[in-house]
Amino acid sequence: MSKVFVKVMLFATLMKKYKTEELIVECDGTLKGLIKNVAKILGEEFFNDIYDKGYDNIRKDIIFLINGRSIKDLKEEVKLKDNDVISIFPPLAGG
Amino acid sequence: MIGGYMGKILRVDLTTGTLKVEPILEEIAKKYLGGKGYAVYMLYHYLKEYESKGISPAEINPLGPENVLIFATGPGTGIVGFPSSGRYHVMALRSPLTGSIGSANSGGEWGAFLKFSGFDAVVIEGKSEDPVYLAIINGEAELRNASDLWGKNVFDTCRILTKKIGGKNTSVACIGPAGENLVHMACIVNDEHRGAGRTGLGAVMGSKKLKAIVVSGEQKVPVADPEKFSKVSKRCLDIMRKNAVTGEGLPTYGTSILINVINAVGGLPYKNWQTGVNPHAKEISGETLAEKYLINRRACWGCTIGCGRVTSVKSGPFQILYTEGPEYESIWALGSSTGVRDLDAIVKANHYCDEFGLDPISMGSTIAAAMELNEKGYIPKDDLQGLDLRFGNATALVEAVWRTAYKAGFGKYLALGSKKLCEIYGHPELSMSVKGLEMPAYDPRAIKGIGLNYATANRGGCHVTGYTVSPEVLGIPEKIDPLTPKGKALWTKTFQDFTCVVNSTVNCLFVTFALGVKDYAELLSAVTGWKLTENDILKIGERIYNLERVILNKYGFDGKDDTLPKRLLEEPMPEGPAKGHVVELKEMIEEYYKLRGWVNGVPTAEKLKELEIEL
Repeated sequence: MSKVFVKVMLFATLMKKYKTEELIVECDGTLKGLIKNVAKILGEEFFNDIYDKGYDNIRKDIIFLINGRSIKDLKEEVKLKDNDVISIFPPLAGG
Repeated sequence: MIGGYMGKILRVDLTTGTLKVEPILEEIAKKYLGGKGYAVYMLYHYLKEYESKGISPAEINPLGPENVLIFATGPGTGIVGFPSSGRYHVMALRSPLTGSIGSANSGGEWGAFLKFSGFDAVVIEGKSEDPVYLAIINGEAELRNASDLWGKNVFDTCRILTKKIGGKNTSVACIGPAGENLVHMACIVNDEHRGAGRTGLGAVMGSKKLKAIVVSGEQKVPVADPEKFSKVSKRCLDIMRKNAVTGEGLPTYGTSILINVINAVGGLPYKNWQTGVNPHAKEISGETLAEKYLINRRACWGCTIGCGRVTSVKSGPFQILYTEGPEYESIWALGSSTGVRDLDAIVKANHYCDEFGLDPISMGSTIAAAMELNEKGYIPKDDLQGLDLRFGNATALVEAVWRTAYKAGFGKYLALGSKKLCEIYGHPELSMSVKGLEMPAYDPRAIKGIGLNYATANRGGCHVTGYTVSPEVLGIPEKIDPLTPKGKALWTKTFQDFTCVVNSTVNCLFVTFALGVKDYAELLSAVTGWKLTENDILKIGERIYNLERVILNKYGFDGKDDTLPKRLLEEPMPEGPAKGHVVELKEMIEEYYKLRGWVNGVPTAEKLKELEIEL
């Protein structure tokens, strides 16, 4: 699978915890490949912040956006492209 | 006495200076709870009485003695262990901003302390000749001269009266100069920084020459089944503590943490809603507020969440050593909507809103509308009197807030709210309001359900009437797609009905990020001793929503008013994840009316009968 470069942005407690606002990450275009490579940079604990206990799915309570669209609202399997923007928010609310 | 209630309503006639105590009626409380619900019931009966005297609703002057103002708590308010229950609801027969029913809600301590003073609700009628304040202390109430307080700002008024009354559990709800000057977006502020913000109820208080209501007392709220309540309360508070949002997200960052996520989905209105993407969102975000401005947190009475922010601007032209907020809505309205990216100025403008008693949502949105009018050349230079209203001008923003409170210079136009302002300058389409109330911080071209809620919300452009942003963006209680109109009618109706219950309980809407209808049924059953099911809870909410709608209909509001500004219906979103989208309102609203049992925005006789609403 060809390599792509995407921008990953972290917010709120995730930004604070990893002292990182954004990073450009190289990956194979899959979601798992991306998270794996981000974890290589930020540390293995990143997996726990993003995945559920079985490491099968993205945690239900976090907000994970690809170009502003929640992955929960995307009908097709995620195929990342160059310059895609991934925004990751911990559980949050307001009003 | 019924559990959860102090059992007493204080009715004050400011014209004659008479005070009467009336009982809470259990048969009404069972149908409408308290807070908003009980107030809506009372307001409906005021209208009926006026009609029987030959006074039509259209003849009611929002700023005349005939308007009625009700401060109300509910059965949950002020009970230790009832989640986040320090709040109160205020309603008026008619809002000066919208010409329809007035409605607002506030946190802090005042709601709980009103109950400790011995009352569930206070009804204000008539108009005083001279400025007065109402003192309610341990079951005794009296009107006192407030001539020396007239002209004072909110902070001074709260501090002077708190000190003067002394005692335990003393709290002041008051108006500032904006309310005194009858500014249409004036609010009622309690505990210095908590406001019953929307629909201009501060002006109603000002028109009655009522400067403040101070409450104080040590009476205890009865609970019907303390043992059962203790169990349910413990379980609910435990859920809230463990919940990622109410236990961590809101306590850590407060509400302004939403700026970045709403911007990321393309729904953060920028420059009077010309787009939903703010290129400078990061500079005004909750993260930036926490890093550079936050000095502490402040929780409302009995709240385990503690979303309130204590902040300061350490130096510079907008220096302020202690303030609270700004909330997400205030940052958006005073910042993103006006294109101002200087968070110092936004914090200062928000502080002025608290100090003078102004609703920051309507204030910011009205300034934003004026900025667009001005940039397009629709305002004569002489009218502006030197106020340089251009998008992004931080100094003009702060100056405009001050001028509005005192109706100084161009402030006299801003004081009317965006709808009347834009009408005066010949471009009503630039007022981003529904039924005269400025919409809050979510562009429905990117979040469709909230558009249906704005259009159908009884008080006008309001997000907390039915906060569908919760499922659409935050994924609570489950995730739904914000860009589709499908299925939004049921979500909107359910949220609107349930929120009526929350505002009649009265506790904080944020509790519902963790607790659901079943939890409310259990909490309220234990407190009141009634056996309330989930169905009962939602039916009470639906009943309140429908009776409120009946009042709206009496003012002439119906389906034609259940709409959105043209910009959202016809101008496609120019950029971002929602690029090309408009709001498919017609499709959503047809389904919504069907679910509601309404025809053209009017409840049918069958629906009212089903809900046991007697007209």
